[in-house]
Amino acid sequence: MSDAVNAAPTAPRVSASNPLAEAWRTLRRRPDTVIAAAVLLFFAVMAAFPGLFTSTSPRTCPIREARTTPQGWGGDHPLGTDALGCDVLATLVHGVRPSLLLAVVVVGVSLLIGVTLGLLAGFYLGWVDYLVSRTVEVFLVIPLLLAALLVLSLFKGVDLGAGTFNVILLPAVVLILFGWMPYARYVRASTLEAKNLDYVTAARSLGASDLRVMVRHVLPNAIGTVTALLPTSVAGVISAEAVLSFLGIGVRPPATSWGIQIEQGSQWVLGGAPHILLAPLACLVATVLALVVLGDALRDALDPRLAA
Amino acid sequence: MGRYILRRAVQAVGTLLLVMLLLHLLTTVAIQLNGNPAQAFFGDKVATAAQIAAVEERFGLDDPCYDQVGNPCLGPFVERLGQYAQGDFGTNLRGREVSDIVATAAPNTLRLFCVVLVTWLALGMLLGSLAARRRGSAGDHGIRLTSVLIDAFPVFVLLIVYRYVVAVPLHGWAERTFGEDSWPPYWFKPSFDADHPWATVLVPGILLGLAGSAAFIRLVRASQLESYQGDHVRTARSKGLGERHVVVHHVVRNSSVPVVTAVGLTFAEALGGAVITEGLMNIYGMGGVLWEAVRNDDVGLVLGVVTLLAAVTVVVMILVDIAYALLDPRIRYE
Repeated sequence: MSDAVNAAPTAPRVSASNPLAEAWRTLRRRPDTVIAAAVLLFFAVMAAFPGLFTSTSPRTCPIREARTTPQGWGGDHPLGTDALGCDVLATLVHGVRPSLLLAVVVVGVSLLIGVTLGLLAGFYLGWVDYLVSRTVEVFLVIPLLLAALLVLSLFKGVDLGAGTFNVILLPAVVLILFGWMPYARYVRASTLEAKNLDYVTAARSLGASDLRVMVRHVLPNAIGTVTALLPTSVAGVISAEAVLSFLGIGVRPPATSWGIQIEQGSQWVLGGAPHILLAPLACLVATVLALVVLGDALRDALDPRLAA
Repeated sequence: MGRYILRRAVQAVGTLLLVMLLLHLLTTVAIQLNGNPAQAFFGDKVATAAQIAAVEERFGLDDPCYDQVGNPCLGPFVERLGQYAQGDFGTNLRGREVSDIVATAAPNTLRLFCVVLVTWLALGMLLGSLAARRRGSAGDHGIRLTSVLIDAFPVFVLLIVYRYVVAVPLHGWAERTFGEDSWPPYWFKPSFDADHPWATVLVPGILLGLAGSAAFIRLVRASQLESYQGDHVRTARSKGLGERHVVVHHVVRNSSVPVVTAVGLTFAEALGGAVITEGLMNIYGMGGVLWEAVRNDDVGLVLGVVTLLAAVTVVVMILVDIAYALLDPRIRYE
């Protein structure tokens, strides 16, 4: 996703053969991707400036106002209040930041680790490849969610403070630790393909260093498949976070997240207050849907052989 | 072939040992940083030092290395491997054997996986083949839209909506319409019933399968599209074979190899999904046990179940590799 955006300014200059620039041009013309991007932008703004959307604090919870039904725009509680009297809209708005930050940090760092290791393994082969491939195999055997459940319940009691990064630190570390392998695999496979191409051999015979060949010539070709994975991975992390928070081992209180809200809301659906569940659920689905649509379009743009 | 299987098996044992070492190291670091999990045994009550020492001894946490940050604690690891080799996977906080718990819980997980597998293959083969056959038609676009929508609803969201919003009214309706003792009310029961395991696992299984089926639809479509463009299909058509024969024998059969592999690769992901499904729907399976163990801070049980599930994943991955080698004669591993 971010790669496509970064490619934008250079698009007019580079020739049409640059796959990312090409992909970007195709994407701009599709209405569904534009809408999806607008939805994501909306939530990103919400994460960055929660004050724009609500002036109520999510932590002022007068219990006598518990389970107020939604009052619409203009009322004190546009989306009603939850079981403890906290404003649903305020909780929702302040819950975006930890979820999105976690997703971006996890995918960003895993991508960095995966690309580095995959590139090294595919380029040098030999013992580097052996080491990386074995490590990938070991980590792949433990499903992400199981690993997260184990490690986070082990570290449940550790107090890390309440800063923006502190509340997501533990889930971030665990999800990165068990989430970098797919990138390494894909990049390794495409590096193997790309490194024997003629222009790479040419660059090497001109005396380019290993690092230069890897970064300038092999990587741009190897990154395509991985780019298409990114939006879906971000969506995956967001829903994993919701599950972990539902179990009480994701984002730490006092920070809120959609998962925590869904957990609290689920008990009141049949108790006459379905809005407590439906509001965070709708936001979660909207975000994930936007990301999936974007990923789907990106996959098409980068691999037009399979387009409908 | 025999040598290949043997080599894979030896490799798998090595992987499994490394996995256990990894889990052990994670647990050790957690104990060293986090303080002793023996305290969890007492919940909120304050325990005396002697009581804690007794619990530590019983759960094998009395080694002094657990107090030294950075010590990998290899002694207790070797000890634990010895216990695993004898089939002893430790106990939960109440003293029940993990292997015993797993033995009663595993059949329900297997039931769930049967339903999931059938859903995957049925939806994936049906919709994927249709989309590949009518590429570019309205049907293809519709199927593609469906798969995007499926992806947009994580299994967690599907199950929450089903359990808390849909199941109860549906269950009541089924009871009124079909009578209390008929099958339909059990299908829509919002929680698991040990007396009717198949009926109560059916809908959660279908939902879990549905959540994973988008990947299958895409995969089947992609691999069949490739087959349709293959030389062998053109040859088959040009020698006058009927379209049905070409599709069944030359397209579907040839494109089913990657699907088998995908079943293996998606298995690990489905295990995670099974934990969510069983936890939310109160199904007494491996995932349900794990879910409850996390809620009760029962670290010993979590470790035991995760280790066992990792072992199962290793076995499934080998089986898939072997199936792959058997199905595709072009692949030679010598």
